Amino acid sequence: MQRGRSLRPLALTLILAAAPAQAGAQSYWSHDELGDQLRSLANASDRATLTEIGSSMEGREIWMVTVAAPGGAPLESRPGLLVVGNLEGDHLLGSTLAVEAIRYLLAQDGQDEEVTRLLAESVVYVVPRLNTDGAEAFFAATRWDRTANARPVDDDNDGRTDEDGPDDLNGDGAITLMRVRDPAGAFMVHPDAPRLMKRADAAAGETGSYTLYWEGRDDDGDGFYNEDPPGGVDLNRNFQHAYPYWEADAGVHMVSEPESRALMDFVIAHGNIAAIVTYGHTDNLVTPPDARGALSEARALDLPAFAAASLEGIHDVGVFRSGGGGGFGFFGGGPRLRGAQPGRDNDPNAGRRPSTTVHRNDVDYFATVSEAYREVTGIESVGIHRAPQGAFFDYGYFQFGVPSFSTTGWGMPSAPAEEGEAGQARAAAGARGGRGSGSGPLDLQLLEGLEASGVEAFLDWTPYPHPTLGEVEIGGFLPYVTTNPAPEMLATLGEGQGRFLARLGGMLPRIRIVETDVTAHGGGVFTVEATIENAGYFPSALQHGVVARAVDPVLVQIQVDPEDIITGDDKSATVQRLEGSGTRHSFAWVIRGSAGDRVEIRLRSEKGGHDTVTVRLGGDR
Amino acid sequence: MKQNITTLAVVTILTLAGPALAPAAAQQERGSDPEHTLPLTWDRWLDHDEIGERMQLMAETWPEFLSLQSLGQSYGGREMWLMTINNPATGSELEKAGMFIEANVHGNEIQGAEVVLYTIWYLMENYDRIPDVRRMVDERVFYLLPSVNPDGRDYFLDGTGSGARTGHVPVDSDGDGLFDEDGPDDLNGNGVIEQIRKYVPGEGDFRISHDDPRIMEPVPPGEVGDWVLLGSEGLDNDGDGRVNEDPVGGYDPNRNYGSDWQPNYIQGGSMDYPFQLPEARAINDFMMTRPNIAGFQSFHNTGGMILRGPGMAWYGDYPAADIRVYDELGENGERILPYYNYYVIWQGLYTVHGGSIDWTNDGLGVVSFSNELWNGGQYFNSPLLQEQQQDPDSPISGQRSRFFFDDFLEFGDQYVEWAPFDHPVYGAVEMGGWKKLSGRVNPRFLSIELFHRNMAFTLYHADQMPLMTMGEASVERVGGDVWRVRVPIRNERLIPTVTARARENRIVRPDILSVEGNVEIITAGWVDDVHRPGPTQRIDQAELDRILIRSGAPGRTTRVIEYLVRGSGSLTVEYDSQKGGTVSTTVRLR
Repeated sequence: MQRGRSLRPLALTLILAAAPAQAGAQSYWSHDELGDQLRSLANASDRATLTEIGSSMEGREIWMVTVAAPGGAPLESRPGLLVVGNLEGDHLLGSTLAVEAIRYLLAQDGQDEEVTRLLAESVVYVVPRLNTDGAEAFFAATRWDRTANARPVDDDNDGRTDEDGPDDLNGDGAITLMRVRDPAGAFMVHPDAPRLMKRADAAAGETGSYTLYWEGRDDDGDGFYNEDPPGGVDLNRNFQHAYPYWEADAGVHMVSEPESRALMDFVIAHGNIAAIVTYGHTDNLVTPPDARGALSEARALDLPAFAAASLEGIHDVGVFRSGGGGGFGFFGGGPRLRGAQPGRDNDPNAGRRPSTTVHRNDVDYFATVSEAYREVTGIESVGIHRAPQGAFFDYGYFQFGVPSFSTTGWGMPSAPAEEGEAGQARAAAGARGGRGSGSGPLDLQLLEGLEASGVEAFLDWTPYPHPTLGEVEIGGFLPYVTTNPAPEMLATLGEGQGRFLARLGGMLPRIRIVETDVTAHGGGVFTVEATIENAGYFPSALQHGVVARAVDPVLVQIQVDPEDIITGDDKSATVQRLEGSGTRHSFAWVIRGSAGDRVEIRLRSEKGGHDTVTVRLGGDR
Repeated sequence: MKQNITTLAVVTILTLAGPALAPAAAQQERGSDPEHTLPLTWDRWLDHDEIGERMQLMAETWPEFLSLQSLGQSYGGREMWLMTINNPATGSELEKAGMFIEANVHGNEIQGAEVVLYTIWYLMENYDRIPDVRRMVDERVFYLLPSVNPDGRDYFLDGTGSGARTGHVPVDSDGDGLFDEDGPDDLNGNGVIEQIRKYVPGEGDFRISHDDPRIMEPVPPGEVGDWVLLGSEGLDNDGDGRVNEDPVGGYDPNRNYGSDWQPNYIQGGSMDYPFQLPEARAINDFMMTRPNIAGFQSFHNTGGMILRGPGMAWYGDYPAADIRVYDELGENGERILPYYNYYVIWQGLYTVHGGSIDWTNDGLGVVSFSNELWNGGQYFNSPLLQEQQQDPDSPISGQRSRFFFDDFLEFGDQYVEWAPFDHPVYGAVEMGGWKKLSGRVNPRFLSIELFHRNMAFTLYHADQMPLMTMGEASVERVGGDVWRVRVPIRNERLIPTVTARARENRIVRPDILSVEGNVEIITAGWVDDVHRPGPTQRIDQAELDRILIRSGAPGRTTRVIEYLVRGSGSLTVEYDSQKGGTVSTTVRLR
């Protein structure tokens, strides 16, 4: 708090019931402070190990905390739970939740049954802050909602990089918006909420009278305001599923950034990761995928979108479609094109496209986890919910093939008047898509909710003489307030996430050899049977994990020479997908052997653990 | 060790080549070719060490033009040798359009590396002799990477050659948690992974062909054969009951690039994310630092194709303006390369997601081709032979043709006759089959033609990269100190400075037209037609002394810029393109 740059609560009205005081987060942490937190957690427990999976563009460590009880199975063969926070630079909440969740797990080990079993049988990998450089902007003298990492990017492709970022014209340490009276403008003051704006609807007889910009000057004199700020790439738009190609903030290609690459290299080297939880701007936990596997509609604030509209058309500047003779007559019809002829593809698989919705056989798992999430955390609605494009959690399901989740980490703040059933109904409706953009219900709900809970969330519009735009007004949502709750809520929110991880950990597949049997047929011939069981909730592989060939089949191998197997299962027998909740599968081999021989049977489930049982061939009849 | 060999080789070659070092003027052709500076031979396939030695030798022979570097190491620790050809006397590298030529991304597709080496050698040997060669070397910069997959190349050339397409990053192909633990085994130690057949009288489904006893043919329905085929030579190395189920690598190194990359279940062998492979990454890291690269060629085999993207049909074809450029290059390519067809990848070959030339076109804005070297039709190089091929009774019909040409042109060198073998699992069997060089690699005696024609196509491609020039400026006083200045700006060649796809994807920096001088620019506009009066197309940009041209300079087109300026003295107009060079002219206002 002494930084004077954390969020400013005026009073304490928490959405969640106040938790007992504990030594949890009291404010958001800089990189150094985060490192101190992690070191002290790791130093105080033999169940937490602090390592680095890489470093950022600017050389900051990307921390990884491995949480597991020592002894027992090697970590790489245990079911793994991966937690990643703060992929978006402005979502500092995510890193705090990750740390608080670790704190909860360590504190509850040996106390809480779920936690104790999770740490004994599984392993939790936590990357609290992937975007270490982007998060550091929270502690800068001038603050703006910076999601990107530190990669210099020529956002407007004009040959100059990072040359026109926002400027703190009014000197309040916060980048907000400018609104300018403009007869050609598309926006008007919101009739129901004078601080907010709406897009004028000509069909309803409304006339636009304002244009909005981010606060700042046209530093490079190109006629556009703040079109190329410092950085960077939004790491949660840099992964392989539904990747937004050729958008400046998505990186030059998938996994182009040192931070995203460090995470990917860790993940692909840890095939035991059986579920993923990320903290970020997208939600699929409060509102799970619907019956058709689709995520809920995005919910974005209008004000920033209106400011972004001032850059529309920037990439059309300098596109010349005519001029000059010669050439081929490119523009007046030229020779016949010798392109490909549609319908003559000679590859029968060419039409196959990647899945974009959750497989129908997997939907119920997401619904169950969502129910558990809402129950455990008490979070019933979300504020901002961004449509995922190139998001890491989507990679986790659609390509890595495991249950994979994202949460904004806190609930939609609600105004007091809206509390009770009506408020919940409205919030729930909002969380499931609500109304489209335009009149700005989300802006209003969020503003009222934040202010009701005592957060100073908005800078009222204040006149300012702008050097090139003339008289403008500066105002709007303060940086970070719409995506990060007041620090007073952090400890409680973090504990809720810890409880959720414990619950989710209990759902991981746990596959063991539960029964074996040997029948002697005489003549040195035996039947060996083995039965495996999945005691977890999740199957050994989600249906999409099988479709995507992302998850290895469960392998059960009898350790005899292949030539000694007469009939029955193959030496290396497999089952593609073993459902959870006690589902069993049996294997049988008829083999040659000698009474008294010891035969080992090995089980390998990539996500559900390893097991080995030795049977003894009984005496001949 | 390698260093010693190289030094020795240099000494030897230079001694042999002594006469060639005499002044060029003295060796006017007297009925024969001039001596080569570096008399290299082109009739054998080189492994990675030999490629490195040859490149060092050339770099030492022509140090003025050649610089050799390693882009990094392959997974197996082999250097990725890259030769840059640049004449510093005509400008630095980044000022000139660059042609990047690579080969051998698939370990078994070897001959492209020799095409690349031949190209370096040919350009250097003939720089002083052939004016067109000299011009191309002087105008352009060439980046030449003979082997993208040196691990695969050595595995192919120095080993049995089986399954050499992949790179050598270990992959668990059978999902058992182990990596590359069970590949094929050369059981009889003859250096060839052969096919296995077993004699099972009356119980088999294959029989020996009446046409040629080397050919196994399936028996017609209702009949029985005496033979079964048991796959390729190998063992159950890991004792899991399966044979050869997890050989080295197990992916496609040309599916690991960043445009339309797809996960494994859509595009087999793509790995986990684009540029995960050290080799693809090293190339891309280099190309990212060379925005001047405007042409790209990736040599593969086989089939005789000049391929362009897109690799898949989903996203539709390239913009029409780009297709016209590709068509002209590709159709001339078909003339330069008989037996080669100009195709779109997904239609003429098969669908490819995440291939290298889709990335260079879509992600780097580079006009790119991939040639599939060698077409078996080149054996049947006459109408008579082509006719005989269609005759079922001819000795060159169907499968027999392969044996015929091996027998008569290679003297049987490429085939291993069936021979008895006592297999540890299958018992008494016979093994035999084609050697690794047969089929996809051209016979050595046809190499030079293949090398030269493919080089000629890439040089033609390189020659058509954008090349900016400025015509003579004109100045006219409008009144007082206001002047009208016109400057013609021309791209002399076929390829635009910014392709239409590059502009759509915003991945090439726009061209920038700038003015320096003690003047105020009142307006700027493009002249529609220099021969007719009329208003110019006004340029509506905030910075008229730095005009962005996102659509670049189209091929073989002159545009005339007109400035209305107020001032005196002189002004300098500069046109700066990343792929077509930078040109400028200084105009005096008088």
